[in-house]
Amino acid sequence: MLDIQQLHIQLGDNQLRYQQQISSGDIVTLQGVSGVGKSSLLLCIAGFIQPVSGQICWAGKPISSLPIEQRPVAMLFQENNLFEHISVLKNVRLGTANIDDSQIFAAAKELQIAEQMQKMPQQLSGGQRQRVGLLRTLLRPEPLILLDEPFAELDNQTRTIAANWVNKVARAQHKTVLLVTHQMEDVDILADRNWLLS
Amino acid sequence: MFTKPSNIVGLLFILIISCVTVLAFQGLIGFSQNGADLALLQDSYFHSILLFSIKQALLSALLSTLLAWPIARAIYYYPNIYFKQTFLSLSLLCFVLPTLVLITGFVSLLGLSGFITPFLPEQWSLYGLQGILLAHVYMNLPFAVRAMHQQLQNIPDSSWILARQLKFSRWQRFCMIEIPSLSANLGLIFGFISILCFNSFAVVLALGGGPQSTTLEVAIYQALKYDFNIPEALTLAWSQFAIAGIFFVLLYRSNSVPWLSKDSTQKLWIPSIGKTTKGIYLLIYTGTFVFMLMPLIALLPGVLAANYSIDLIVDVLQALSLTLVLGALSAVFAMLMAYCIMLPIRSAAQHRQLQLQNLLQWLANHTLIAPAMVLCVGLYILFLPLIDLDQLGIIFVLILNTLLILPFAIQQIRARVLQYDSDYALLYQSLKLTFGQKISIEWGYIKPVMLSTFALVLLIAMGDVAIFSIFGNNNLQTLPWLIYQYAGSYRIHEASFASAILLLVYFLILLKIERAKHHA
Repeated sequence: MLDIQQLHIQLGDNQLRYQQQISSGDIVTLQGVSGVGKSSLLLCIAGFIQPVSGQICWAGKPISSLPIEQRPVAMLFQENNLFEHISVLKNVRLGTANIDDSQIFAAAKELQIAEQMQKMPQQLSGGQRQRVGLLRTLLRPEPLILLDEPFAELDNQTRTIAANWVNKVARAQHKTVLLVTHQMEDVDILADRNWLLS
Repeated sequence: MFTKPSNIVGLLFILIISCVTVLAFQGLIGFSQNGADLALLQDSYFHSILLFSIKQALLSALLSTLLAWPIARAIYYYPNIYFKQTFLSLSLLCFVLPTLVLITGFVSLLGLSGFITPFLPEQWSLYGLQGILLAHVYMNLPFAVRAMHQQLQNIPDSSWILARQLKFSRWQRFCMIEIPSLSANLGLIFGFISILCFNSFAVVLALGGGPQSTTLEVAIYQALKYDFNIPEALTLAWSQFAIAGIFFVLLYRSNSVPWLSKDSTQKLWIPSIGKTTKGIYLLIYTGTFVFMLMPLIALLPGVLAANYSIDLIVDVLQALSLTLVLGALSAVFAMLMAYCIMLPIRSAAQHRQLQLQNLLQWLANHTLIAPAMVLCVGLYILFLPLIDLDQLGIIFVLILNTLLILPFAIQQIRARVLQYDSDYALLYQSLKLTFGQKISIEWGYIKPVMLSTFALVLLIAMGDVAIFSIFGNNNLQTLPWLIYQYAGSYRIHEASFASAILLLVYFLILLKIERAKHHA
């Protein structure tokens, strides 16, 4: 279980406060108006922002004081998910040492990016880049997945394909997913619960 | 951050180079026992050299930076201009050219019996402020051109596309895209050149005309060499260290956010230019090309007139071998140290510890502002009673050369590694990469800069005369020292031949490295 207890983040003049429990294996969508602190929460769970007070626990153990590298988290950022100077396939292999290439290509095929794997990131469209990032994040062994607007650059059809793929993989591998989205359609396809921040 | 092993190595290197400087000053203070001669600070002689040092440094930097701008624009907006790559290689060559070679070339062109002198006004003299400015601009303008061109190259295509879409006028493009891309580093380029010229030694020694055109560094040399007046040398050295140090701190404090962009080899949307603009750019570019080539071509008559003997060729080749070995070792050490030193600086930058970052940068780069002559002489005096410097002097040449080229290495790789962190720090931390993976991915990103920086510091190290003049011996001679020996005994044709060989080697190294950089 992911347990967010009295978490307080200071972002400039903004005071952000969070309290939530998410059961293991659940997919929770996170919604709210811009600036309400959705991405900040994800960055705090991943260890990139230090909270002022409060605690984040995973499986009963506090993780707030752990270095980034030791947290059980795989995160997809809004941007800058790929190293521009190495190929797409090499990018995907980073952090997925547990997965062989056949599994990577099988997943890439489902996400309709199998033909892009040998290219360089700058040859890809925004939507393709986003799916590459998504693919790697879900294939990583970490049990807690944080996705910051993962479908923002996808058309409706591809969006549905990607959302269904996330749903399938997360459920099969019993991953806990916290996903920021502005689309109710994503909530309908994926969410066990929708967390509305205000 | 002080507990990470990689940061500790970097901090250790910073401590070592700081200790070397402290030891050098300790050597001088311990020898004189009286400390600095503070009465000198009231002396008009001191005021005049101080003013001249600052004046020539600021003028050199201003001229180099201002003149470099249109040239950088010319090669950016006219990307298929003829011999562009050669021009850029030649620019680097001018920056690292051993001063003795440059002075020989300038004297052949603009000296008392120079080729061009008859066409110049009667009052023309290569010696004095104008000669110093000319030599400083020759060495630093090409550096500024390269730096500005690189900044312009960093403008992402998306900015030009947006400018087209928003129907920007030429003036708007200039103000909204070009100026911001350059302004981030313009102060840094100006300041860097100012410091180099403020500490300039060989150019001022060769072209300075008496007390009216002397800098602090040359005055230190004169105080040590002619009077062995250590209290005076110390006062001058502290003054130089303090002024250059304050300048350096200001420079790094005012350093604004770098113009960051994703790397893109695609430059499809650079605004096209009209025929008239093309003509003007061609004219500026060709003029600069000629200006850079002239002092080098002026060496040719001397080369043709040289009296070639087996002895001469053997001497030159032996000196060349030693130069290459010493230069390569210094460059390798400097690159390793620079990379390690950047680790704690990067860590401070990521944690937004600006003051700590500035302090570490200042300490790491302080050999750029510490008078080289003081470092050499101080260490010489300190170690003379302890070590056989005739036998081990060459090791000191290696160490001091490494320390003096270190700021150049740091300066060159700094922007690139900070940009890497700015773009990818979240990503590589989030991916929990192993040490090997981190290094391998980062290497792919910084390789072109590392190669070109290696070439730069290699060539600077190969051109050293000052350190060798104190720690070297006549059994083992470097090529620049051999050139100095030939020139000192009026064997000008031999000096020209040796200079030409050194130039050729410089050019070959540059071509090789630039090619490797483009394939990287």
